[in-house]
Amino acid sequence: MKRTQRKKLQRTITYILLVFLSIIITFPFLWLVLTAFKTYPDIYSYPLKYFNFSPTLEHFKKIAEMNFWKYFKNSIIVGTGTMIFSILLGILPAYAFARYNFRGKGLLLSSVLLFQMFPMVIFLVPIFKLLKNIGLLNTYMGLVFSYLPFTTPISIMFMRTFFIKIPKALEEAAKIDGCNFWQAFTKIILPVTLPGIASVGIYAFLFSWSELLYSMSFLTSKAKQTIPTFLSLFVGQYQTRWGPLFAGSVLATLPPLIVFMFFQKFFISGLVSGSVKE
Amino acid sequence: MKKLTRDEKIAYKMTLPFVILILILVVLLLVSNVINSFKDPIDRSFTFQNYINCFTDPVVGRAMWNTVIWVLGSVLGQLSLGLFVALLLNQSTKGQVVFRSLILILPWATLDIVAGVMWKWMYNDMYGVLNDILVKMHLINNYIPWLATENMAMLAVIIANIWKGFSLSGMFFLAGLQTIPTQLYEAAEIDGAGVFARFWKITIPLLKPVIKTTLMLTTIWTINYFPLIYIMTGGGPGYGTETLVTYIYKLGFKFLDFNKSAALSNILFVIIFLIANAFLKNISKEEAI
Repeated sequence: MKRTQRKKLQRTITYILLVFLSIIITFPFLWLVLTAFKTYPDIYSYPLKYFNFSPTLEHFKKIAEMNFWKYFKNSIIVGTGTMIFSILLGILPAYAFARYNFRGKGLLLSSVLLFQMFPMVIFLVPIFKLLKNIGLLNTYMGLVFSYLPFTTPISIMFMRTFFIKIPKALEEAAKIDGCNFWQAFTKIILPVTLPGIASVGIYAFLFSWSELLYSMSFLTSKAKQTIPTFLSLFVGQYQTRWGPLFAGSVLATLPPLIVFMFFQKFFISGLVSGSVKE
Repeated sequence: MKKLTRDEKIAYKMTLPFVILILILVVLLLVSNVINSFKDPIDRSFTFQNYINCFTDPVVGRAMWNTVIWVLGSVLGQLSLGLFVALLLNQSTKGQVVFRSLILILPWATLDIVAGVMWKWMYNDMYGVLNDILVKMHLINNYIPWLATENMAMLAVIIANIWKGFSLSGMFFLAGLQTIPTQLYEAAEIDGAGVFARFWKITIPLLKPVIKTTLMLTTIWTINYFPLIYIMTGGGPGYGTETLVTYIYKLGFKFLDFNKSAALSNILFVIIFLIANAFLKNISKEEAI
């Protein structure tokens, strides 16, 4: 076989395998979406119905009646708070870790990452008590506060990689033109790194969007709970109400999915240089 | 000590507030756990009883064993699938974004709880789509009660976890592969090295640092990962899928035995610390050479 022929064959096999894998990996999610549009008789039909059913919106109506959009709104509030504070808290340390060489840099950097080692469940009771003592239990602020130790370190690592990529000369030129540090930072550096910062923000947002354990433990009143808690209410020990559960799941997953796909380039580069090259 | 340079002063001003805040919080929370773990649940006096209870509780032993299986299965599965996907994606030129979205992003962006209920429904013994497909493909003859027996339930949650978590390894490996210069492969090809020779002699050695870091992170994250098991089996049937984190949660929030829960938390923390330490030592030793 000639080299070009072999290359062609290799490429064909690659694409066949990729298509095959895509089908297997997306199938569970596709099945979830299909189930969300089935009536209960169709969900519990035997033999199983794959595509031959008439779609219904009854489960979507049902969860709308159950105040789904209120939980959605609560999730957005907590997510936005987590996003903003993770960026604000992380941006200066990230910049310093990227730009300067200083004694103890490695040690400080690894202590920032300390929280990544702990399972969230270990701190469940201590944080619960802490929030109760400072009167932040059952508040959005308290929940956001409890997420920050887990999200900010990642945001520091991500943003650091984006800051590293900016040539120092750019900043120095600005300083020669008479900008002070803050002007150079806000006018030169921030605009360039904005996509990276946005992807960090989205990461923090989605962390809180998906988080179940803390949100169901710290937000004790029903009016404040978030989507994961809402969804967990449909899972019973003996019976699970699949219809509304899946309708809610579809609505909860689509926004992050679309945003993730849109920003994937930045995620992958940030994620990787942040954790792998250390 | 040498005087601080101007850069160092700025850098400390920017980093130390956050680092100190984090350290205070860690110490505060850890100390709170340690104090709780030595408190008697009834008269609040000092006692070792909570730790003794942990070591004599057969469920703790079971949970440790389950955690080992859960971590081994999930990590091996996630890393090999991740590597396979990364190799394929690295080969593809056209449509990489589409395949990346479908294979890597979709499982990652799925909420933990959604992934849990989705797999739970697929594993349903009567109406589950998994049994239906396997029977239609003649891979099995009778429906498998996936979540009803201890061993099958463990296998089931591990499969679900591989689906949910492999994309992270995939992304790490993909980026790692992109740093390997293509000339290396071309030169090897001209020298007559086949696909597998190139894989074992070039890809694996050059990817080794990335593989090690990924292995460490995935191991720790899998030990700590809680929602999937909580949603799918709640640790059951019996204690078949009870891991240390699910049991810590149960002790604290179901049985309301906060002190024993704190004791087990500390034991788990020591285990994770030792594992991380072993990895880090190994990684830095290699880098020193």
